[in-house]
Amino acid sequence: MNDQWTNRLSEYIDGELDNEERIALEAHLATCGSCYATLAELRQVVARAQSLEDSSPPADLWPEIRARMTPAHGAGVGRRGADRSRRFSFSVPQLLAASIVLALLSAGGMWIGLRSTKPTVTADQNVTSPPSDYTLASAGRWRTSTDAAVTELEEALARNQGQLDTATVRVLRQNLAVIDRAIGQAQRALKRDPGSNYLNLHLANTMRQKIELLRRANALATGQS
Amino acid sequence: MQMLFAALAAVTLALPQRDNIHQGRGQGQGQGVGDTTFAVQNGARLDVNNFGGEIVVKTWNQNSVQVHSSHSSRSQVNVSASGSTVLVRTEGRRGPPSIVDLDITVPAWMGMTLSGTYTDISVDGAGGSVTAESVQGDIAVTGGTGNVALKSVEGGVTLAKTRGRIEVNSVQGDISIEDASGDITVETVNGDITLARIDAANVEVNTVDGDVLYDGSIKPGGSYRLATHDGDVTVVIPPGASLSASVSTFDGDFDASFAMDTVRAGKHRFTFTLGRGGNTARLELETFSGNIKLRRPGEVGLESRKHKNSGRGHNERDNDNEQYNYNYDYHYKYHYRYAGN
Repeated sequence: MNDQWTNRLSEYIDGELDNEERIALEAHLATCGSCYATLAELRQVVARAQSLEDSSPPADLWPEIRARMTPAHGAGVGRRGADRSRRFSFSVPQLLAASIVLALLSAGGMWIGLRSTKPTVTADQNVTSPPSDYTLASAGRWRTSTDAAVTELEEALARNQGQLDTATVRVLRQNLAVIDRAIGQAQRALKRDPGSNYLNLHLANTMRQKIELLRRANALATGQS
Repeated sequence: MQMLFAALAAVTLALPQRDNIHQGRGQGQGQGVGDTTFAVQNGARLDVNNFGGEIVVKTWNQNSVQVHSSHSSRSQVNVSASGSTVLVRTEGRRGPPSIVDLDITVPAWMGMTLSGTYTDISVDGAGGSVTAESVQGDIAVTGGTGNVALKSVEGGVTLAKTRGRIEVNSVQGDISIEDASGDITVETVNGDITLARIDAANVEVNTVDGDVLYDGSIKPGGSYRLATHDGDVTVVIPPGASLSASVSTFDGDFDASFAMDTVRAGKHRFTFTLGRGGNTARLELETFSGNIKLRRPGEVGLESRKHKNSGRGHNERDNDNEQYNYNYDYHYKYHYRYAGN
């Protein structure tokens, strides 16, 4: 996964490569599955980051998130809201976790709101630490921490769903089940092919969708949508 | 017995905060109907919250807003100004409001935020930004520029003739976008996503259980990511498009109506390029369980229909063949079916 181009992908997205480098990278992308998949995920992360609103959550979660996302030797991440150009430079091994962290970050304000009335839900407990390098072991740890975040959001929804119409709860539950089925299928496929970039990224994306649906459900229930 | 409120107020939105412009209230056992018209200055914004019923917004070439409401005696409608924002709120005299239908006409340039719980929302002819959110209800918007963000939990979303940064999100319901340009992000859990006549350089589409169709431009340097877990992904590729594509499917087939050379790039993925290279577009197509299809313009006949079924999830109309009339006339099949090992 680490070749000479992987750390240039964010520069590529930002249009900072010169013409010669860009052409060389594009030629490389046509033949390197890892870089192509990584680029796809990076674009998704950036798109999601750009869609975040500028307003900061009531408490600034960013220093801790940034500290967790930025290894001593790693690339930094522009502070949300402060960097108007919205450049997000990720080192490649952080991408899987970054997509989840961004989903969680967008929920930060909601979690703070929940915490004010529901002390058991804390934002920092839900922020997953990215693996310092992408290995099967680190992917496993990442999944474990993401599962913990999902569990907390599910518990919050179980507490809050009484505020919602029963028909809405039923729809939300049905669709969480749809996502869970997809996650289960992806997990079973990964067991057979644990090294598949596509399956790993597909699982990460489906987990992100579950987190975002749980976040939205909680926001609806607490009137913070 | 019906009561008719006909209040005409000429109000410029430089008034002190929370000026009450109009309060319409049904009385007795009858039904309330309210009409209010007032002037607004350029840059004013409309903000409507209606707990249940309809919000229908139309536009005209006058710098004034007209609010027409229809509701039972248990509800009332308040129209007020806060800064440069026109606020329209519905509330119950005791408890939550019952059904209120709002018919609002605004200047074409006016941006708007519309929200509700059991609320269908429709906008026709918007020229400014549009934010619309409903929990149980369909959303249909024609027009809109700048930021256009539409969200529903249980309901279909349709958007047409829009320019700008488009973000559409549903949980259970189909999403359809036509004649739109700008950056587009679309996501639902259980529903089909259709993008037709699109002019966009950045497109991001995700559904878990549903088909995806993209028929639009493939711009140099653009990024197009279309993904589903359980469903087909169909993309119309304009002739002459220059692109590098990545195709991933765990259990499905890939076929194209034109010839190309593919390169295996992994067990579940392959790539191909089209065009002359240079500043190519990126195309990423993914389905865990479904087929990926490439077509030329005209090969996928799309017949839009009235969204009589919007709001229903993908699983509920698997046998419904009305929405798309596919004309499959393709010849090149690439089988990438993996049952694991």
